[in-house]
Amino acid sequence: MTKDLEHQFVTELECNQNIVHKVCTLYTNDRDSHNDLFQEITIQLWKAYPKFRGESKFSTWMYRVALNTAITLYRKSKKSVPTQDYESVIFKITADEYDPSEEQQLKLMYNAVKQLGDIDKALVFLYLEDKNYTEISETLGITEVNARVKMNRIKNKLKTILNP
Amino acid sequence: MDELELLKRDWQKKDKQLPQISFDEIYKMIWKKSSSIVKWIFLISIIELLLPLLLYLLPIMSKEFAIWRNLGLGNFLLILDIVQYSVVLFFIFQFYKRYKEISSLDNAKQLLSNILKTRKTVKYYVIFCLSLIFASFMVMATGIYLSEDPIAALEFGNSVENISPEKLKTTLIVTVVVLGVVVTLVMGCIYFLLYGILLKKLNKNYRELRDMDI
Repeated sequence: MTKDLEHQFVTELECNQNIVHKVCTLYTNDRDSHNDLFQEITIQLWKAYPKFRGESKFSTWMYRVALNTAITLYRKSKKSVPTQDYESVIFKITADEYDPSEEQQLKLMYNAVKQLGDIDKALVFLYLEDKNYTEISETLGITEVNARVKMNRIKNKLKTILNP
Repeated sequence: MDELELLKRDWQKKDKQLPQISFDEIYKMIWKKSSSIVKWIFLISIIELLLPLLLYLLPIMSKEFAIWRNLGLGNFLLILDIVQYSVVLFFIFQFYKRYKEISSLDNAKQLLSNILKTRKTVKYYVIFCLSLIFASFMVMATGIYLSEDPIAALEFGNSVENISPEKLKTTLIVTVVVLGVVVTLVMGCIYFLLYGILLKKLNKNYRELRDMDI
C-alpha cells in the first residue's frame, strides 16, 4: 500500500518536475541551492501527498506547495555564490531565430525578475506560467482585484529596473 | 508590457533546458530529512518550553529553595510553582494545537499566518517566563528587606562578620535587584535576537501579503 503510494508519487513528480525546477530557478542563484530547494520542495510535496487525494490536478497542487516552500519554509543553508556554468543554463535563450537584440532584452528581463522580492517573484512566476488571476489570488491568499493591482505595480517596478 | 510577454514566450519554451532528475533520485529524496523553517521553529520552541522546567532540576536551584524558605517565602514559591505549571501546560497545549494547523496546502498568506501564530504562542510563553524570573528576584529582594537576619538566611556563614548589618542588607538588596534586571534583559535579548533572525523572511513576506489587502 505504502509502496504503491510512493511509486505513484515519484512517477507523478518525475513527469511534472519542470514546475519545481522553474521555481528553483527563480528563487536560487547557484546549482547547490537549486538542488537544495528542489529537495526541500520534494520532501514537502511528499509530506502533503496523503492529504492531496486528487481533488485538483497534481500540477495545480504542486504550484501551491512549491511556492509555499520557496516563500516560507525554505531556509538557505549557506550563502549562495553564483557560478558561471549555472548562469549559462538559466540565461540560455531559446529564440527560434537568433536575434541579438531580443536575446539582450531577455537577459535584462531575467536579471530584473531575479531582483524582485519573494512575493513579487511568486506573482511573476504564476503569470509566466499562464495562470489566471483567480488561480494567482487563490495560491497567494489575496483577493483577485489586489492580485491585478499588484501585478501592475510589478510591471512598473520591472520597468524602473530596466530603465533606471 | 511587451518585454513581459516576450519573457513569457521564452519561459514556456524553457522546459527542454531544465535539468532532469531521475525516478531513483527523487525516490531517494523523499526520505531525506527536511530542513524547513517550521522544523527549526518546532525544535527551538520545544527547547524553550522545556528549559525553564529543567532549570529546577539543577542542584543549585534546590539550594535556592532552602534560601527562599529561610526568608519566609516558602508559600509564595508553592503558589508560584502551581501557577507556572498550569500556565506551561496551557502553552504546550496551545502550541501543539497551532502547530498541527500548519499545512503547506494552505494558501501562502494563511500558511505564513499560521506559522507566525504558532511562534507567537511561544513568544508569550517566554515573556511570561521572563516576568516570572524578574518577579522572583524582586520578591527575594523584598524578602531580604523584611528579614530580621538575612545573613543567616542566605547561609553566608561567618565570612561577612566585619561589615555592618545595615550596610550589608542594603548591598544585598541592590545586588539582587540589579542581578534581576541584568538576567532578565540578557535572556530577553538573546531570545528576541534569535526570534528576529529566524523569522525575518517570514515576517517580511507576511507583511507584504497582508498590506496588499489593505
